[in-house]
Amino acid sequence: MKLPLRDRRVSGWLFMLPLVVVNAGVVLVPCLFSIWYSFTDWTGISSRARFVGLKNYANLLDDPEFAGGLVHNVLWTAFFLVVPMAMGLFGAYVLTRIRRFRLLFRTLYFIPYIVASVVNASIWRSILDPDTGIGDLLHINPLGNPDLALWSVEFVNNWAWWGFLVVVFLAAMQGVNPTLYEAAAVDGAGALRQFFSVTLPGIRPTFAFLGLMTVIWSFLAFDYVYILTQGGPAGSTDLLSTVLYRDAFSNLQSGYACAMGVVMALISSVVVTAYLIVRTARKWEI
Amino acid sequence: MAISRRQLIAGGGALGAGTLLGACGTSAADPHTITIWNNLPDAHQVAYFRRHFAEGYRRSGGRLPVRFTNKPSNTIDRLIQTSLAAGSGPSVIVTPGPSSFVSAYDSAGYLVDLTEYAQRYGWRRKFAAWALAASEVDGRLVTLPTSYETMVFYTNPATLDRLGLEAPGTREEFEHFCAEAKGRGLVPVAAGNADYKGANEWHVGVGLNHAAGPEAVHAALRGETRWTDPVFVDAVEQLASYFKKGWFGGSVDRYLTNGFPAVYRQLANGRAAAMISGSWEFSNLAQYFGKSAGNDADWAWHTVPSLRRGVPTQVWDLAIGQSAGVNTRAGNVAATVDYLDFLTTDKPAIVAGVERVAFEPPPIRITASDFSEAADPRVVRLYAGLSAARSIGYTTWTFFPPTTETYMIDYFENVITGRMSAHEYCAGIQSRFAAERAQGRVPTAPRPDGGLS
Repeated sequence: MKLPLRDRRVSGWLFMLPLVVVNAGVVLVPCLFSIWYSFTDWTGISSRARFVGLKNYANLLDDPEFAGGLVHNVLWTAFFLVVPMAMGLFGAYVLTRIRRFRLLFRTLYFIPYIVASVVNASIWRSILDPDTGIGDLLHINPLGNPDLALWSVEFVNNWAWWGFLVVVFLAAMQGVNPTLYEAAAVDGAGALRQFFSVTLPGIRPTFAFLGLMTVIWSFLAFDYVYILTQGGPAGSTDLLSTVLYRDAFSNLQSGYACAMGVVMALISSVVVTAYLIVRTARKWEI
Repeated sequence: MAISRRQLIAGGGALGAGTLLGACGTSAADPHTITIWNNLPDAHQVAYFRRHFAEGYRRSGGRLPVRFTNKPSNTIDRLIQTSLAAGSGPSVIVTPGPSSFVSAYDSAGYLVDLTEYAQRYGWRRKFAAWALAASEVDGRLVTLPTSYETMVFYTNPATLDRLGLEAPGTREEFEHFCAEAKGRGLVPVAAGNADYKGANEWHVGVGLNHAAGPEAVHAALRGETRWTDPVFVDAVEQLASYFKKGWFGGSVDRYLTNGFPAVYRQLANGRAAAMISGSWEFSNLAQYFGKSAGNDADWAWHTVPSLRRGVPTQVWDLAIGQSAGVNTRAGNVAATVDYLDFLTTDKPAIVAGVERVAFEPPPIRITASDFSEAADPRVVRLYAGLSAARSIGYTTWTFFPPTTETYMIDYFENVITGRMSAHEYCAGIQSRFAAERAQGRVPTAPRPDGGLS
């Protein structure tokens, strides 16, 4: 029996209902509370919260820790938009060119991504140890040097991340019409030219999407920094998330931390909006 | 039956609200059980606490059974905060000393006023006066100290024999000690904060109490002088210079990446000449020295040396390592207070815990005669020394307000890495301290020359 259109719509909504309820409970409602608390002096402990208007947001402008965290987040984002993306593209492109062991390499690249960050970080902390690891061999202490620490944490995080990009890019590259490569080869295009003229345009929506997600995830980065350096030494690896965490749970300034969180969400929103505009204009499907 | 979109949204909203309210609802604590969360570092201590301080309460005639859960040290405060904010939490609320979170918990209304119980249970008689004074907020007793500790100077006697050195007592002796050890290729003072950033405040506290001196610290804690006074700036500068010379941890960058196991190993295997830390290390060192570690290494402790002429050579930096209050939402407040009294004043049980699993005792009056012959003489000497102490110092996690304390931890690295001057660091302390002092958040500090009575 075929249901009328209206009943089908209703049954569709009914199937969606559990998800909507869960999302409202664990995402929407906390978001709304966070926005409200960002205008208060809430400690995070007490149920009392006094409205303070835009004071928290004004204080952000004056906060050197917030500024430092923001700068580090921008550096972090730039690193992850360039290094792992380039490594992921290169790795995936190389894998499209080989037939044997492709699955093996794909698996090997992907393994660090599925290992818990606390395990990855602990392993790398031992590897970088200045007494027992490569720090001893190279006579450097990457995590103890304020000039090297941020790059070192990024390196460790990238080690776990770029394999994921390889797998996603590889899947996208396998969707590129092979006759385009044949035509390009007939026209005399080499591997490099084929990559830039066929592969990249063919995976552009995936590339743009992963770029977008990289920006969003970069502003949410927390675990590797917290495990490896806790924001140190001397705040040199502090990200907005670690500053926020400290303000919320050590300084008991949860209202202020909420304001920081709202600003982080706004930054991500701007990026998402820009992506959606481009996506609509270019009629991408992803 | 057709459901309109409006009905669907209303139904979904009601279901969501119901779920949310169910999740956020106040779960009244069980009136028939006392709950306590603690953060004990090893399995022996957990088992001992469960047997003697949870089940033991009931065996000794306690009113209600006690349910004890051990939580990780690095998350217990967050777990307690979250559960309290959600309207629940354990019956006994523990904090890492009276400085951290106590005033915030009190102003949020989570802590029972224990003042009237002090009279009933005779706590003024049983506890050291300084410890109860530091546990008060606005003149009300809101927590009891469950453990106390002090900073000490650890050595490995075999290493000192090899170097021909003795534990230093004065600044000159300390600087000679460090220069000599460094010159012989050793780390003068094993130290590191990779596992716990809070280690910074141990050293800042040592700098303030032993270089600026307890009289100066006491005056500043009372608001009579400022933290930017030259005596403090010089003390921080002096301490930072020790770090920059590589006397703590081997070098500044090593200090920032050394974990505790590496620090203990350095002291045990003779790669370090000394270690400055708290008396809580007694239990940690056992795994690295002697039979259990498969070596014949031994450790000793001494008082932290005076780092400026005029500062007494024996200053005992006092600290309450843990405070415990009673949750106002506890199902049975009177029974929970009774349990807290058992936990903190049952001297035989407490002394046995100190002897057997190196628990830190509450600051009740414990002397050498309270210990059995089987007790570690180093432990007996510590508490005998503390009970006879004449000059005391002030640890940041007991006598400083919370935001100031957090700043002192976070920004000390800026000083030792040269990103901030000692004066700027002290100015940061002063501005935060003044604000918190105005809010009444500074715990009461006893006189530095009053001893522990």
